[in-house]
Amino acid sequence: MMRVGSAAFSRTLVRLAAGVLALVLFVLPLHTAPISPVAVIGGIALLLAAVGIAMLWRWPVTAAACVFLAAYTLALWTAGEPVSVIGAAGFGLSLLFLFQCVELGRCVDRAEVGAGAYRSHVVAWIGFGLGTLAGTMAVMAVAGVGAASIPFAAAPVVAAVGAVGVILALVAAVRGAGS
Amino acid sequence: MNGRVTPLTVSLLTVTAWAVSLAVLSARPELVVAALPLVLALATLIVRRGVPEYSVTLQRSIDRIFEGEIVTVTIAVTAASGIPLMQLLGPLPRDTELAGGHHRAMLTLGPGETTSFHYELRCSVRGVYDLGTIVVRARDRWGLRAWERRHAERTLVRVYPRVVPLRSLPRPLHTQSSTGDYVSGALGEGIEPGDIRQFAPGDRIRQVNWRASLRLGSLYVTQHHRERNAHVVLMLDTLAEVGAAADTTLDFAVRAAASLATAYLARKDRVGLVTYGGTTDWVRPGSGRIQYERLADTFLRASVAFTYVTKDLALVPTRVLPPHALVIALTPLLDRRFAKAALDLAARGFDLVVLVVSPVSVTRAALPPSVTNDLACRLWRLMRRVHLDDFRRHGVPVVEWNPAEPLETALAGLARRRPRLATAG
Repeated sequence: MMRVGSAAFSRTLVRLAAGVLALVLFVLPLHTAPISPVAVIGGIALLLAAVGIAMLWRWPVTAAACVFLAAYTLALWTAGEPVSVIGAAGFGLSLLFLFQCVELGRCVDRAEVGAGAYRSHVVAWIGFGLGTLAGTMAVMAVAGVGAASIPFAAAPVVAAVGAVGVILALVAAVRGAGS
Repeated sequence: MNGRVTPLTVSLLTVTAWAVSLAVLSARPELVVAALPLVLALATLIVRRGVPEYSVTLQRSIDRIFEGEIVTVTIAVTAASGIPLMQLLGPLPRDTELAGGHHRAMLTLGPGETTSFHYELRCSVRGVYDLGTIVVRARDRWGLRAWERRHAERTLVRVYPRVVPLRSLPRPLHTQSSTGDYVSGALGEGIEPGDIRQFAPGDRIRQVNWRASLRLGSLYVTQHHRERNAHVVLMLDTLAEVGAAADTTLDFAVRAAASLATAYLARKDRVGLVTYGGTTDWVRPGSGRIQYERLADTFLRASVAFTYVTKDLALVPTRVLPPHALVIALTPLLDRRFAKAALDLAARGFDLVVLVVSPVSVTRAALPPSVTNDLACRLWRLMRRVHLDDFRRHGVPVVEWNPAEPLETALAGLARRRPRLATAG
């Protein structure tokens, strides 16, 4: 028989984790460039995220993620600091886990939760986070070497083509999984 | 089982595309790095996964309950392959409510692992409920792909109307030939002493009334009243009903009919049922436990079906409405066709008793308190008094029952007006 202990506490914990991740996404751009436009845009995103977390709706969280990204872009663009891989990877992981937390919250809302369900998810997330960080470091190292061989004038074109290629590849993967 | 991409995938894809676009426009590689976890998560969709294999079973604690009682539903799942996230949606039929636990569950199952969960359902309204449909949604680790399946296996729970114990029942005017609990006017074998007469050959010695014999100088024997049973036919009005769901006049009438049937069957009477409405249904009089089952199943089906057609009770077979049967009509008297049919039965010589489930009280209970509603209900009550007097003028005993009060109270009024000795039928 399934053990269902402190289910309400666990549900609150999932929402709390989502809230903390939203705060991280708000603070990171502000830490990069502590200016009022970033704070205002981040505040709007935080509000949207709060609505999404409270109501467990997906669309405010999606909107919040987009606005958080806009705030982060503005902060990076304004600050003009050297590239920070760890901070950027942390920002990306926070975005992903925010979505995951809200999705998990939707699943456990008014539901019995199996004893190992939370644990298995948290373990998978930690593993994925560590793997992503290691992978990012490796990719950046390879990119540092490869970037030197690309002519400066062609770099924007290569970046744009690469971005379109990644998006098209992902769309193809999604379509393939859906069919 | 159909696999499909979830809306979360679309959300992640949108955010990824937005991040990559911003990275190109702002020429900041950090945004590509930020998009990398999302890209990696989405890239898991490239890996082809087989359909999750599992088996799911549902068990209910009981298959027959009374209104307001609780049934425990247990759902067990065994996974043949590992399932990172499985959502189960157990049955929660209309007119039922959760009394304990949740009918939804979220599980993570390893290969060969079995787990189960249970919840309690309170069924407040009579009827037949199917608890056999379970919806299972299995997801991959990131919730990007889902497989949904509906498992339907007929698992019925019958919810019978609540029964209250009744001690004072309307006594029948006529009895039948089988042994029962009523003191018949006819003389013969029995316990209740009747008359005395002179001894005749064949009389038993233990029947001799020695006191009378000594006083009168010759042998006299005591005669006894026979104890006989009766035919009781419950006639349920399903032409119209008022009141809030689960507490309509028909629901109260069905509960009263179930209580009366239980009480009469306990007295060895033969009890039958006629539901008079859009669809006329009947159960031939019978006795015993099996007969209660037949009646209870008909009570479950009893519902209002509107019709313009006036049904003629003469079409009901004589076996269903035997001569000299006690007919107890349970009605809110909202449709004049039922009143006409009942008076027609009385005119044909049936021993008719009318138990009116007060629609005024039921409606008043369903309405919010207000002076206007009070006044309307008082006027309605006065109008209905005229209808009830129609029955009394025809010599038909009629009582009005306010469902907020015990049924026994209303029936006690009828019991007092009936003779102690019944005529042998």
